[in-house]
Amino acid sequence: MTQLLAKNDVKKGLSAYTIWSILGWHDIRQRYRRSILGPFWFTLSTALLVIVLGFLYSTLLKVDIKTYLPFLGVGLVVWQFISTVINEGTTVLIGSQTLIKQINLPITVHVCREVWRNFIILLHSLPTLILMLLLFGIWPHWSIFLLLPLGLLLLFLNGIWIGIILGILSARFRDITPIVTNLTQIAFFLTPVMWSPEILESRAWVALWNPLYHSIEVIRAPLIGSPILLESWIWSLAFCVVNGFIAQWLMKRYRNRIAYWI
Amino acid sequence: MKTYIQLKSVSVEFPVYDNAHRSLKKAVMNLTTGGRIAQDIKHHRIVKALDGISFNLEKGTRLGLLGHNGSGKTTLLRVLSGVYAPTSGKLITQGRIASLLDVSMGLDPDATGFENIYLRGVLEGLKPKDIRNKIDDIANFSELGDFLNFPVRTYSSGMMIRLAFAISTSINAEILLMDEWLSVGDASFNAKATRRLNYLVKKASILVIASHDEDLINKTCNRIMHLEHGNIVSDEKIKRTK
Repeated sequence: MTQLLAKNDVKKGLSAYTIWSILGWHDIRQRYRRSILGPFWFTLSTALLVIVLGFLYSTLLKVDIKTYLPFLGVGLVVWQFISTVINEGTTVLIGSQTLIKQINLPITVHVCREVWRNFIILLHSLPTLILMLLLFGIWPHWSIFLLLPLGLLLLFLNGIWIGIILGILSARFRDITPIVTNLTQIAFFLTPVMWSPEILESRAWVALWNPLYHSIEVIRAPLIGSPILLESWIWSLAFCVVNGFIAQWLMKRYRNRIAYWI
Repeated sequence: MKTYIQLKSVSVEFPVYDNAHRSLKKAVMNLTTGGRIAQDIKHHRIVKALDGISFNLEKGTRLGLLGHNGSGKTTLLRVLSGVYAPTSGKLITQGRIASLLDVSMGLDPDATGFENIYLRGVLEGLKPKDIRNKIDDIANFSELGDFLNFPVRTYSSGMMIRLAFAISTSINAEILLMDEWLSVGDASFNAKATRRLNYLVKKASILVIASHDEDLINKTCNRIMHLEHGNIVSDEKIKRTK
């Protein structure tokens, strides 16, 4: 029976959505209890950051603030989802040890809870962002009704795979957490969040070979009305599929060891 | 469906990692330098908590586990509950399992009593509708009244145990796992708690209880197993005259 569970942990975990969605919402409610703005605090602080950075960097990079601000805004919100999912992914299993050692649930449930919680925050920020875009007179591409949900789904799934991979690795090797924290910090500057790849001219490959860039781009491009590259979709789909396979493999192989490691 | 538990030479080994063993550096160094450190890494200190345990439990079994501290009683219960997968050997269980191993763990101190009842129900895989039906029952049993609207961190330790007990015993299970007989709260609540436990024990098809209290085991169980260093030293069925 336990053997079976290791094989199907991911599938079982994903389909136990009532459990992780309720727990994720509970986390959000807990975090913002007794605060008036609640999760919108996150939106507000991002908005503030976008405005300040927007003015600073549009001057530094000599680009029009009207095109730069939306670019930065969407990029930063998506980036914050990605980086939080990565960083919390390294602690998610260690942090859930009381539950893991007490209740026999699919391990994937704990990862889904964490990703879902951050996804809710992302969904709080997106409408505000779209409103801002409309204020700037930027009309998203019509294809957004199809592409945005697809892009978000891709982002969500990929977040779960990354959470499983990093969660398992860092349960075994405790150095993974600080290493990953450092890498995501560096990745923020290397990924076109604050700057667009055209600036790099001949060195644009730095961005174009970066799966994180493409994961942001599938959401950003249709929202700010820039051309949607097939390349970005291929990259982020491939990224998601590869991560999915690694996650499944790690889970199958090490699922039963996790309770001993944490 | 038939309820049963089957263990075939189940062993559990705990790897004991000190900080050095957990480090990625060592694992990487191991790749490059080979030999010396490889031995170091392979020779994790290991605690063998269970050593090839085999037994079958059928419907109606009331198994009492006796043994010194560290003899493997709690580990065995954790294996039965599915939390620890056997390092080797095979475990087959059929039936819904409930474990009262660590009642007060898993309460969220910042959530209210009601929320905790709800969350636990969710974790046990109940549907929100079914949980709502149970909430009144749990609330009544805990006798906490309006305090259930307060965050659990404001509770006294006695109140917390009452809530934890009320939540974790509100289960429907065919297989009941217990680590020590729970005794909770003041005298009047304790009497009530004992009645509830007796009821649960009677309702369950299989009971496994670990305890140091031989009288208790003799009173409740119809099969007694002694564990020592992760091995079964004696296993006897006793005829009950009741």
